[in-house]
Formats: sequence, C-alpha cells, structure tokens
Amino acid sequence: MRSQAMIRSMLSWMLAACFTVAAVAHHSTAEFDYTKQVTIKGTVKEVQWTNPHSYIQLIADGDGAQKVQWSVEIGSPSLNINMGWKKNSVKAGDVVSMTLSPARNGKPYGTLRVLTFADGKKLEGVAARVGAGPGPGGPPPGAAPAAPAPATKAP
Amino acid sequence: MRIMKTLKWLLCTAVLAASTSGAADSASAASGRDALFGIWMPDAAPRTLKTANGKAPPLNAAASKLYAERRQRLARGDASFDPTSWCAGPGMPRMLTMPYPFEIRADASRVVFIHDWYRWFRTVDLGAGDVEPPLPLTMGFPVGHWEGNTLVIRTNGLIDTTVMDASGLPHSEELVLTERLRVLPDGRLEDRITINDPENYTQPWDTVLTFHRDAAARVTDDVCPDRLARGEPAERPAPQRANASRQQAAPAPMAKPVSASRLAGIWEPKTFGIMVPNAPLSGAGQEIVARNAAAMQSGKIMQTAWVSCRPGAVSTMTMPREKIVIMETADEVTLLFEMPRMVRRVRMNASHPAKVGSDYVGDSVGHWEGSTLVVDTLGFNGYAELDARGQPTSAKLHTIERFTPSADGNSIDIETVVEDPEYYTQPFTIKRSWKKSAARHPFEYDCMENPRQEDFENAYYVREQYRPVCMRVEGEGMAPSRMVCRRPED
Repeated sequence: MRSQAMIRSMLSWMLAACFTVAAVAHHSTAEFDYTKQVTIKGTVKEVQWTNPHSYIQLIADGDGAQKVQWSVEIGSPSLNINMGWKKNSVKAGDVVSMTLSPARNGKPYGTLRVLTFADGKKLEGVAARVGAGPGPGGPPPGAAPAAPAPATKAP
Repeated sequence: MRIMKTLKWLLCTAVLAASTSGAADSASAASGRDALFGIWMPDAAPRTLKTANGKAPPLNAAASKLYAERRQRLARGDASFDPTSWCAGPGMPRMLTMPYPFEIRADASRVVFIHDWYRWFRTVDLGAGDVEPPLPLTMGFPVGHWEGNTLVIRTNGLIDTTVMDASGLPHSEELVLTERLRVLPDGRLEDRITINDPENYTQPWDTVLTFHRDAAARVTDDVCPDRLARGEPAERPAPQRANASRQQAAPAPMAKPVSASRLAGIWEPKTFGIMVPNAPLSGAGQEIVARNAAAMQSGKIMQTAWVSCRPGAVSTMTMPREKIVIMETADEVTLLFEMPRMVRRVRMNASHPAKVGSDYVGDSVGHWEGSTLVVDTLGFNGYAELDARGQPTSAKLHTIERFTPSADGNSIDIETVVEDPEYYTQPFTIKRSWKKSAARHPFEYDCMENPRQEDFENAYYVREQYRPVCMRVEGEGMAPSRMVCRRPED
C-alpha cells in the first residue's frame, strides 16, 4: 500500500512541474481550476469505479426546482482505495455534499476535494491533497525540479 | 507379415512405456506440469457458453430477462453491454472465449497467462488462501495450486461490468470461478470451469473450453485502440475451422526455471517520476515540446500515447506506476507492468533479428553482467513520449537498461541510457528504483474502461490517430450513460 505521504509528495511534485497530472498521471489537469472551490449538494446517481478516472454522478440542487447533474472526478480505483475508500463507501441514492474544484469550461464538472455525508463523515478526493507542499522524503528521483519548470523553458 | 512386425513393435513399445512410467511416476510429475506451458490457441472460441453437457446455463428469472434483453440488442448490432467492444477489459471467462492465443508461463510462486488480446495478463498466485479483493477487477484475484498435473485456479473479485461471453451472459461480483486445467491425452489443453454465481444462476454449473497447439500462433503486442482507429473490430472474428492454422505437435516454449532467481517477484516503484528533466533535446525535439507546452498552457488536455492507452515500452522506463511482476526463466525475463499495462519479453542471451520490426514495445534482448541484468531494446515505432511534457521519441530510439538488485534483494536500481538522435543531441541516463512488494497480485489498469466525453472535449492530440473512436456520454437526469462509438470512416 502506498503511504499518504507518498501521495502528497507525488501530487505536490505534479503541481510543481506545472504540468499537473491527474491522480493517476493519466492526463493534464489543466481542465480544472484549482484556485476555486464549489460546494454542491444532492443525491448520488451513480458511482463509476473506473479507469483511468473514477467518477460520481450527482443529481444536485440547482436554481429553483431545476436539478443539475454533476460529473465529479474522484481519483482512480487504485488511488482511492489507497486513500481509504471502499467499493461501497458511496452508493447510488446517498445524499451528500461535495466540495470540488470546477472545470474551467463552466460545465457541471469538477474534481473532488471533500465529500461529506449527512452524518458529517467525510471522504477526501484526490484534489484535497493538491498544493499541500512536498511531503516527507523529498522529490522522487527523476521528478521535476523544485523550481517551476514550465514547458516553455524546456532546454 | 509386415503387419505382424508392426504390431509386435507397438506391443513392445507399450510394455516398455508401462514398465518405466510406474517407476518414474513422481519424477514425471514436473514434466507433466510443463506440458501446460507455452502458447495455446482456442479450439472453438465460443460466442455463447454452454454447460459441459451442451445445455443452456441455468439462469434464474431475473438473469434470464437481462440476458434476453442483451440478445435482442446484439441482434440489432448493439454489443455495447460488452466492454470488449470499446477495448476495455473482457473479464473472465470472456477472455478465454476470444479467438486469440495466450501463453502460460510459471515459476515457483505464480502462473501467468499472457494474452494476445490488448496486452492483458493475469497472474495466478500459488500461495495459500483466497485474497480478499479490495475492489473487484477484470481478471479478479486468482489463486492456484497443483493437484498432480492439473492446475486448479480459484478466482474471486471479478467486476460485474464484464460479461461471461460475447452473447452477454451475465455475472455478479459474487461470482467464483474454479478452473481445472490439464493437458488431455490428445495433447489439447482443457479448462473445465465451474461457475458459482447464486445471484444469476440457480445452481453452480460447469463449462469446458479446449485449446490446441498451433506453431503459427504468437502472442504479440496487440493494441486494441489502434485497431479501432483503423476501422477494424475490437475483437476479430473466429477463424473458420477449415482455415484455422492447426499445425500439431508444435514444441511448447518451455519455461525452464533458473537455479537462482535474482529478479523474480512483485515490485513497485520506490517513487514516482513523471518528468525526464534535462534531456538534451535537439531543435526538432524542442519544437515539439514547445508546441505541447503551448497547448497545455491554453488549457487543453494533451493526448499522448500513454493517455490514449497505447503507451510504449519507454513509458515503463520513465513513468512506471503500481506493481511490476517479474518472472525469470532460462530463456526469458518477463516484465509484466500493471500501469501502463504492458508485457515486455526479454530474450536472454539472444541477438536482435537482422531485420527488427517496429512496434510500441520494441525488441528486447538481455544478458547478465555479474548481478546486473542488461536489457538492450530497439525496434520502436516512435509513437511514445518520454514523460508528461510529451518529450518525443522516434523509431531511432535505442535503450539500454541495467537492472541491479540490491544485496538484500529488497530493491532494484535501474539505469536506462536513452539514445535517439532524431530528437536528442546525445545519449542520456534516467534512474529509477523499485522496491519489493508484499502484494500477491498486481492491481489492474484498464485504461480504456471509461473514456469520458469530457476528456476529449478540449483535447490536444499529439498524433491524429490518438483521437478516440468510443467515448462515454452521460445521460441527462436519471438516464444512464451510454458508450458511443464512431467508426473512423463514418
């Protein structure tokens, strides 16, 4: 099992490299605005425990009587399991609130920071750890240098 | 007279065989097990599983209804209940019903099935006791043991989004498969599978799949999304029996164990590297990296070979993730990567062919220098990027990896020299380390499992062929999502 420190270290280095790569290093996370946080409430329609990313589809309260379906990326199966999630941690029909970083395109889409159940129990999504700073152990060999290394400055 | 002579010779041969086989019963057990190893080709690759008696499986009422719906969809040409149709993991026993060869290899700790279809493999742990599945997987958590020359495999933790055959036979996550694999007297491989899934079936039932040797069969580096991109089906049709290549008595490539295995086991990266810093990019290389950077900084998702589920072997050198299984035999070191999912075969003490092919994994040959395994690889197709910045590679890529296990055997240091005059001004070295894993199985990375529409709405494709053919579109309101595939010619 990978330690949480390792996850923190991995994520912080992803950010440091500017090319923030989603939890599973699958693709760039440029699509999400990590400087923003949005909280939505509603009923879970479906949990997709899938690669390359796992999702929760939430039917959320919108303006007035209109319900809005949100797609919320929560991580990936192996990563979420290592973060303490279980297959049935969240189920269709659960009423939850989710704090997320939204997509830049303004659509009802985001990456999960924290999911909170009605009884106050919480589950963290992978985005909760982003920006936490380098974890113990320092950078992994071969990872990007600590100083920002934007691609435009590639040698 | 001639017939009498022949009969006498046959009789003598039989008597001799009988007299020696009794004395050597225990000694021959190992060679009997060896008969299981090597490459096998399905006899029938059935689209519809039947019981061992040729009857319909004992579905309960609810499962019958679901199955009937799927059959109707199939009749309309809609196979989207089967993840195989968009190149996601087929699951078990669906994988064994596909018309593709597979190879069985083994060491003292595990038996590995290396499937020709899209780089899938399953590792059967030979330790005692079931594994508690943390999450159901396509291949589940198979645990095996030998009963004489029969390999018995019990698998639990099988994800219920797969189907058991191409006709859509359902299963739940309570499914437990018990397989008994043995070589029949006629030389074919028999897999007798007991299916125990009380949620869908009124009683446990058996099905039997058989396989034959085929000298022409090869386990290749099949990349399913490339086939979709070319307009080919995700699963090729089963060859007609008359046309099927059935060259009998093909010698099985035996997996002779090595006396002192230095690398065998399950490993995981000590740390994660997603960047290859300070690579001496040439002008052409810099141009590509700058183009990638501009696209990403404009907010686009970069679709590289890795992201589009067709990573090259170089990604296992620069960005290995999760578990790595190594098997070591006299003729081969086999590297099975969980993420990116890939099987690399290192032919020991061999040379590259005079005319090397061109694919994602390349051609790897290895030898030992003291306690260091040196792996030389060339024959790449130039479709892989080195890292998350999309630093390019070309068909001129040549890598030399040096795997050095630590004295205590708990870690491996890997130094890889990368040479690619197309994009780099000089060779450079990448260092990675792996540590021993306590896991009995690798987890699973089914990259094509859930190609969400959102990932492709604002994408930058490093190559045009990386555009997806299939994507999942979420339904409005409570309507379920659906997989939409658009053939390239549409």
